[in-house]
Amino acid sequence: MRMGDNLIVMLQGDLEDGTVEQVEREVTEEVARTQAKGALIDVSGLSVVDSFVARIISRIAAMIRLLGSEATIVGIQPAVALTLVELGVPLKHVATALNAEQGMARLQGRSRERA
Amino acid sequence: MQVALDSELAFYRQMVDSINDYEVVRLDETGTVRTWHEGAERLYGYQAREIVGRPMSVVYTEDEIRDGRPGFDMRTAAENGQCVTEGYRVRKDGSQFWASVTLTPIRGAGGTLYGYVRVTRDHTERREQELEMRAVERMLDAITDYEVIRLDADGMIRSWSPGAERLKQYTAEEVIGHHVSMFRLEEDIHNGLPERELASAARIGRLESEGWRLRKDGSRFWASTIVSPINDESGELTGYVSVGRDLSEKRAQEQLVQRQQEEILELSTPVIQVWDKVLVLPIIGTLDSARAARLTEGLLERIAVEQAEVAILDVSGVPAVDTEVAQHLLKTVEAARLMGAVSVLSGVRPETAQAIVHLGIDLGTLRSRSNLKEALQLALTLVGAAPILAAATGV
Repeated sequence: MRMGDNLIVMLQGDLEDGTVEQVEREVTEEVARTQAKGALIDVSGLSVVDSFVARIISRIAAMIRLLGSEATIVGIQPAVALTLVELGVPLKHVATALNAEQGMARLQGRSRERA
Repeated sequence: MQVALDSELAFYRQMVDSINDYEVVRLDETGTVRTWHEGAERLYGYQAREIVGRPMSVVYTEDEIRDGRPGFDMRTAAENGQCVTEGYRVRKDGSQFWASVTLTPIRGAGGTLYGYVRVTRDHTERREQELEMRAVERMLDAITDYEVIRLDADGMIRSWSPGAERLKQYTAEEVIGHHVSMFRLEEDIHNGLPERELASAARIGRLESEGWRLRKDGSRFWASTIVSPINDESGELTGYVSVGRDLSEKRAQEQLVQRQQEEILELSTPVIQVWDKVLVLPIIGTLDSARAARLTEGLLERIAVEQAEVAILDVSGVPAVDTEVAQHLLKTVEAARLMGAVSVLSGVRPETAQAIVHLGIDLGTLRSRSNLKEALQLALTLVGAAPILAAATGV
């Protein structure tokens, strides 16, 4: 989903090996095609995560950054946040926001900084 | 004819003499002792020459003689054809024993009363057993806080106690002969729980359990029950004894304590919204892991609900922060960050600062202010200006 200079990626439901690769391909292609300045990864649809899903979120964020775009994860649920911290998933340098609106504001703020 | 009669008589006397456990003596119609034998001597201590010719009242207690019991017993025997009594009888040496005495009249062809046959048996042992049993019964009856029920091998109720009546409201007549499962919930009966419990009591030798029991009026109470099997000498199961107690009060108290603990925990980890999108978590007192976990959950939930952007963790009220607590605080900060909220620590003490750095944890985006006032100023600046907020995330 496109919004101005930015993309919104919704992650929800069951993520499996097959669908993950498909999601990664679609997101990277879309970011490259649209030359989006930023991408929001909305995970508010995930109420539970395991280490597998956590790694995928981290991977997608890294891919987006490599494509010269800013990744922000939005909508992490309390239980998910706790799990991610307990699992020690490397998300230290990934920007986060409470919701899509705030995430968008942060992306725009950063793009202004860059400009 | 006379010879035959004599030999018959001799045979008869021999027979009586050979009776050791009983006294079998003949009294005449006035109650005077006419015959004596070894069994009688053994029982009463008198020899034949000491007692034959004396009235039967010799062996009665003084109280009974005063009440006219000897005469009364003889009249009863004469009128009813027999008089069976139980009571104390006196030996020659003055000692007493519990005796069962049968007095039977001897009548001639025309119904003339010739005398009586008195049969005495020492029932002291049986009497003691009886008294013992009565004492046990009285003891069981005195127990009103517990129920004591005897069941047969099939789980049918065979005895009931006042404690059981008080607890379950049924009288003995209403329950004896019924299966013990009559006090159980329908679902327990459906699951075969009562039978299973009896079976394991028989197997293990004792079964202690807690569960719901029904009263007569259909209300339920939480009971603690101990079931023990009763085996006969050969080890064959003959029944069970079940001792039960109402634990409702104890259970209610336990639940109250648990609820209060939860409430205290809740009170001890308050999250206050001080400004739009700004939460303050004042942590006061010692943090153990249960409280720390609660605190983290509470804060994250509130961040989600209030869509808060800044959370201030005021630790000035925490006397000591050990490495475990420090680690937990930093995890809370990281979890809050993942949700998109910036955390500001306030009131960190020197020892706490040392503990946190010694942990070697990457402080990352962690911000800290010396007191709550300054932390609040920072928070307001953060929510007041988006560009600064973006910079604050450190990306």
